[in-house]
Amino acid sequence: MKISDLILTANRNLLRNKVRTFLTILAIFVGSFTIILNTAINAGVNDFIDKQVSTIGGDGFIEVMPAAASEQIMTMMKTGEKVTEYNEKTGSMMSAVISDEDFEAMKKVDGVKKLEVFHVLSVEWMRLYGAEKKYNVNVEYFPAESMNVDLSAGRMTDDTVEDEYEIIINEDWLKPFNLGSAEEALGKTVEIGAKQTLKCYTAPNDCISIVEAKIVGVQAPGVLTMDGDLHINKALDAKLYELINEGVPEEQLSTIFAVGEVEPNKVEDVRKTFKELGSGYEIITVKDTAGMIRTFFDVILAVFNIFGVIALIAAAIGIINTLFMSVQERTREIGLDKALGMSRLKIFFSFSIEAISLGFWGSIFGMFVSMLIGYSANNILHAEGQFLSPFPTFDLVKFSPEVVVPIVLLIMFIAFVAGTAPALKAAKKDPIDALRYE
Amino acid sequence: MKQSLIKPASASRSSEPVPIVEVKGLSKTYGKKSTAFKALDDINLKIFSGESVAIIGKSGSGKSTLMHLMALLDNPTSGTVKIMGVNASKLKGKKLNRLRNKYFGFVFQQFFMNPNDSVLENVLLPLKIGKVKRFSRKKLALKALDIVDLENKAKNKATNLSGGQKQRVCIARAIVNNPKVIFADEPTGNLDSGTGKKIVDLLFGLNKKRGVTLIIVTHDEDLAALCDRQVRIVDGKITSETKTRQARTLKTTAIREGRKEDR
Ligand SMILES: Nc1ncnc2c1ncn2[C@@H]1O[C@H](COP(=O)(O)OP(=O)(O)O)[C@@H](O)[C@H]1O
Ligand SMILES: [Mg+2]
Repeated sequence: MKISDLILTANRNLLRNKVRTFLTILAIFVGSFTIILNTAINAGVNDFIDKQVSTIGGDGFIEVMPAAASEQIMTMMKTGEKVTEYNEKTGSMMSAVISDEDFEAMKKVDGVKKLEVFHVLSVEWMRLYGAEKKYNVNVEYFPAESMNVDLSAGRMTDDTVEDEYEIIINEDWLKPFNLGSAEEALGKTVEIGAKQTLKCYTAPNDCISIVEAKIVGVQAPGVLTMDGDLHINKALDAKLYELINEGVPEEQLSTIFAVGEVEPNKVEDVRKTFKELGSGYEIITVKDTAGMIRTFFDVILAVFNIFGVIALIAAAIGIINTLFMSVQERTREIGLDKALGMSRLKIFFSFSIEAISLGFWGSIFGMFVSMLIGYSANNILHAEGQFLSPFPTFDLVKFSPEVVVPIVLLIMFIAFVAGTAPALKAAKKDPIDALRYE
Repeated sequence: MKQSLIKPASASRSSEPVPIVEVKGLSKTYGKKSTAFKALDDINLKIFSGESVAIIGKSGSGKSTLMHLMALLDNPTSGTVKIMGVNASKLKGKKLNRLRNKYFGFVFQQFFMNPNDSVLENVLLPLKIGKVKRFSRKKLALKALDIVDLENKAKNKATNLSGGQKQRVCIARAIVNNPKVIFADEPTGNLDSGTGKKIVDLLFGLNKKRGVTLIIVTHDEDLAALCDRQVRIVDGKITSETKTRQARTLKTTAIREGRKEDR
């Protein structure tokens, strides 16, 4: 028999016992549906996380902090412990700083293209120029070239200008500023109130300096920008830092974080070198951040996948059962096929293909239904006022051939494996026993 | 094509032609030790191309067992079966499957049809197994159905036929691959005498017109009498062999006509 004949015959045999075939396919369907939908949600969520995280920066973007700080943060995140053990070598999180000496050494490490001190700027407020109302705000500076800010209007900040102060707001600010659209915000001036720490000891009522900055861009909404940290250019960062720390002796200013750019393929080497440098430093890349967020989703999805796998195991048992029954019923047919010169291998394959077909139809069925439900869910969630309406480009469920095809193939393979025992039984049947069988 | 399937062993010594099926010292024991049952005991038999041979005996005498051994569907406990002078123990796997598929045709008492398939599907099964192309196998199957006068039933479901029609479908299936030997196990056993006659006519027609070797297993004396030769079996042993008077002349014409048809 030719392969095409085997496939046709196998599928026709499946149709002979429609109820049994349907129930077996249903079991496979449940498993494949769960796994395919899950994987598609996983793909959608990961894609979203990637997109969001990449707004922090590119592959070469790094944040550097003393190991003490990162270790403590990590332990707290991982274990949920609020009390952590003191580490003699690294010291406490609060006292941990990047020493000037180490900072200079880091700059010289192979692969490091650029390293800058990151200023933690505690500004007091922000308001639109000419308006009364002040708002709480956080601003921060990262080198513009390392960032991939998703802008809905305007441009990225310019770090090369010296006396022009630039800021990027996000869409959340449009309403408080009474601005109708992102475009309308461009070119407008904001005032930022910065507290001169030292002066405030002596003149608590007159220690806020006001800096004017120009809005050059508006950032599109995203999960990671929801905390409201606004991006500013290098000149504004320097100005605010200077104001806040005015009069503070140089030696009392310490560096807690640094940001920089490394060659993307040398990230791991740099990480290793930094760990051994001085009291030890940790780098955090965009990938690390994405990984942390992902772990959370991965756990949830893994739980659902376990359900899918259990369903598939049940389905595999169903396939075995169905095929053993089929072999039993068709004993005489097998005998006839053998008497007419059909080889063992072909008999084996005729049953194997039946199993594979069950897997195929079950998983295709699962694929279509999960796509139907997935795409409907996307549409519903994107509707006005729904959870995803602020993120028009984000699909909760994302199907792609690279994801779906391997699952379908895997299920077909599982079905094939499940079918081997019955298929072997059929192949081994003696034509005479089969023909004498009543 | 068929000639290349088995290279006939060269006829040695005598001028006697090589038998198409030859059985020597054949025994078959079912079961083991305490339950052992000797179904066949030291059978010797030669069947020549173009002959029609009846294997006759009571139910349980071992006729079917002998037929299955000659058709290489089963292995003997001892003794040998030769097909065209080639020892069957040397025919394994692919060769054996090709032999069954292209050289032999089978007709069984219980028909053995796939009831849910169409008549046409049932008839072309051997061709499907033999990897004949879709188009030509349909043509050949329709031709075979024409011979058994059932061309108009090609599309019917096999279950919807009468017993006689079913057996004719089985004959069409047995001849669709143009075999050298047809093994028929009680071909009229499940049929009334009227329909049985039609089946018998068909089988002997093939034997006479095409030179197909006919090996018929039966307990029916009348059917056996129509064959060139009757081999009588009692309790697994051959007790007598008889020849019908005109057998010789019939055989030679059959061979001649059969060759004509091959060309
Ligand atoms: N697979 C088997 N196991 C045990 N005994 C068998 C088997 N097949 C046939 N027999 C026995 O062998 C004897 C001959 O059987 P069979 O060749 O079918 O007889 P017939 O075809 O002449 O009626 C019977 O007694 C039958 O019961
Ligand atoms: Mg019998």
